[in-house]
Amino acid sequence: MSANHNILRFRDVTVHYGRQPALESVTLDIPCGSLTAILGPNGAGKSTLLRACLGWMPLTRGEILIGDAHPEHALPRLAYLPQRHAVDWDFPITVRGVVEQGCYPALSFWRSPSEQERSRVDRAMEELGLTALSGRQISRLSGGQQQRVFLARALAQGADIFLLDEPFSGLDLAARDELAHILVSWEAQGRTVLAAMHDLELVRRVFTRGVLLSTRLVADGPLAAVLAEPSLQAALPPREAARQAEAAR
Amino acid sequence: MSFREIFLSPFAYEFMRRGMLSALLLSLSGGLLGSILVLRRMALMGDALSHSLLPGIAVAWLVFGASTPALIAGALVAGLLTALGSALLSRLTRVKEDAAFGSLFIIFFGTGVALLSRLPTRLNLEHFLFGSILGISGADLRLTAAISAVTLAAFVAGRRCILLETFDPVFYRATGGRGGWVHVGLLTLTVLNLVAALQTMGVVLSLGLFLLPAVSAYLWCDRFGLLLACAVGIAAVCSLAGILISYHAGLASGASIVMCLGAVFLASAVFSPRHGVAGRLVASMREHRSVHHSRD
Repeated sequence: MSANHNILRFRDVTVHYGRQPALESVTLDIPCGSLTAILGPNGAGKSTLLRACLGWMPLTRGEILIGDAHPEHALPRLAYLPQRHAVDWDFPITVRGVVEQGCYPALSFWRSPSEQERSRVDRAMEELGLTALSGRQISRLSGGQQQRVFLARALAQGADIFLLDEPFSGLDLAARDELAHILVSWEAQGRTVLAAMHDLELVRRVFTRGVLLSTRLVADGPLAAVLAEPSLQAALPPREAARQAEAAR
Repeated sequence: MSFREIFLSPFAYEFMRRGMLSALLLSLSGGLLGSILVLRRMALMGDALSHSLLPGIAVAWLVFGASTPALIAGALVAGLLTALGSALLSRLTRVKEDAAFGSLFIIFFGTGVALLSRLPTRLNLEHFLFGSILGISGADLRLTAAISAVTLAAFVAGRRCILLETFDPVFYRATGGRGGWVHVGLLTLTVLNLVAALQTMGVVLSLGLFLLPAVSAYLWCDRFGLLLACAVGIAAVCSLAGILISYHAGLASGASIVMCLGAVFLASAVFSPRHGVAGRLVASMREHRSVHHSRD
C-alpha cells in the first residue's frame, strides 16, 4: 500500500440536523497513515464529520468510503475515542478490563478471547505502558494514564483508523505532552488519526495535515498551507484568533 | 434459644420453605439487575417502575381473576407502558425524561390503588403493597424460578453487551452494538423480576431487594464481575436473616429483609475502606498530616 493511498474518502457529504445543515458538500481525501487535525469554529461540523465516519449520521447526500467499504462494513477498522467527560470513572472496572473490551465486538457470547486476542490486549497494554497498572481501578490513574487506557482499547480492537473528538481537552500539561508524543509515534507506524481540535499550538506540534471546516470545506492539505489560510482567523474562537495574530506579529 | 430453634425449626413449615426459596431466587436475579440499575443511574426509575405495575395487576385481576399468567402479563404491560410512555413523552413534549417518568408512575400507581380498593376479594391492598410470604403458592414459586433462570441466562449470554452498553454506550454503538435493545431488554427483565418479587416483598418494598445489595456491593468492589457476585451474596444472606427475623419477631417479611439490607448498606457506607465515610476521612487526615510535615 503506497503512503499516499487514500484510506478515507468523503464525496459530496451533506448532513442535516433537522433543517440546519451541519456539513455541506464536503469532498475530501485522507491519506493512509496521516495525522489530520479537523479545525473550525464551534458548530462547524467537526464532531459531525467524525460521527458520519462511524455511520451514525444519516447522510442527506454523498458518500463516505473507508478503504473501499462504506462505514457500516468497516467498523472493526475504526476506533472512536470518547470525550473524557463522557466516561464514568467510578465504574468498577480495571485497566485491563477496559482494554479487553477492544476484543468484545469480535466475540460471540459463548466464546472467550482466544490466545491471539489476549496477546493483542497484552501488546496494546505494553505499547502504552499500562502493564504495571493492569489491575488498577480507572479512577486511580492520572489523566494521561486514563487517556492511554482508551487508546490501548482502540489498539486491542485491531483498528488502524482512529477518530478522536477533542482528545486533549481536560488534560493537564504533562498528560498533553504524553498524548502528543504517542500520536506522533503512531504516524511512524502507519496509523491514521483524524482528530477534532481547537488548540492550534498542539495542532502544530502533533499534526501534519489539516482540514478547515465551516459547515463547508474551507481548506485541506498539508498543515502549513491550511494554517496559512486567511479565513482561518475567522474560523477560530476569538481567544485563539488573538493568540494567532500575536504569534504572526 | 438453641441454634436449632433459631435456624432450623422455622423451616419445618411449608410456607417458610417456600418463602425462603423464593427470596433466594429473587436475590440472584435482583442482585444482578440491581447492580446494573445502580451503574446506569436508573435506581429511582426502578422504584417508579415498581409502583406503576399496580394498575396492570388490578385490571388483570378484575378481568381474568386470580390467574398468575394474567397478573404477570398485566404487570408487564403496565411497566412497559410507563417506561416507553415516558420515553415518548420526553421526545414529543418539553417535559424531560425524569419528570415524565415521575408523572406517569404516580398516575399509574393512583389508578392501581383505586382499582384494587374495588376488588371483591379478601386479599387486601396491604398484601400488594407490602407482600406476604404466607401467600406464596407452588405456582408462584415456579414462576419466580423461571424468571430468575431467564435473568441469569440473559446475563450470562449478554454479559459483554450489558457491560459495554453500561460502561461506554458510545463505544458500544461505534462497534456496531444496538444499545437500544440492551436497554429495552434490561427494562423488561426489571419488570419481570418486580412481578416475581411482588408476593414476597410487595410493590413498595420490592426494589429494596434489588437496589440495596447493589449499592452496598458498589461501596466495596472495584471489578464488575465481583460487584455482581457480591450483590447477589449480600442479597441472599440478608434475605435469609430477614425471613428468620420476621418469623421469630412476628414482623412483615419484606420489611424485615429490607431492614437487614439497610443495616448492611449503612455499615458499608461508613466502613468501606476505600469508598466509605471513614476510609475517606482517614485518607484526607493522612494527606493533611503529610502536607503539614512537608511544610516543617
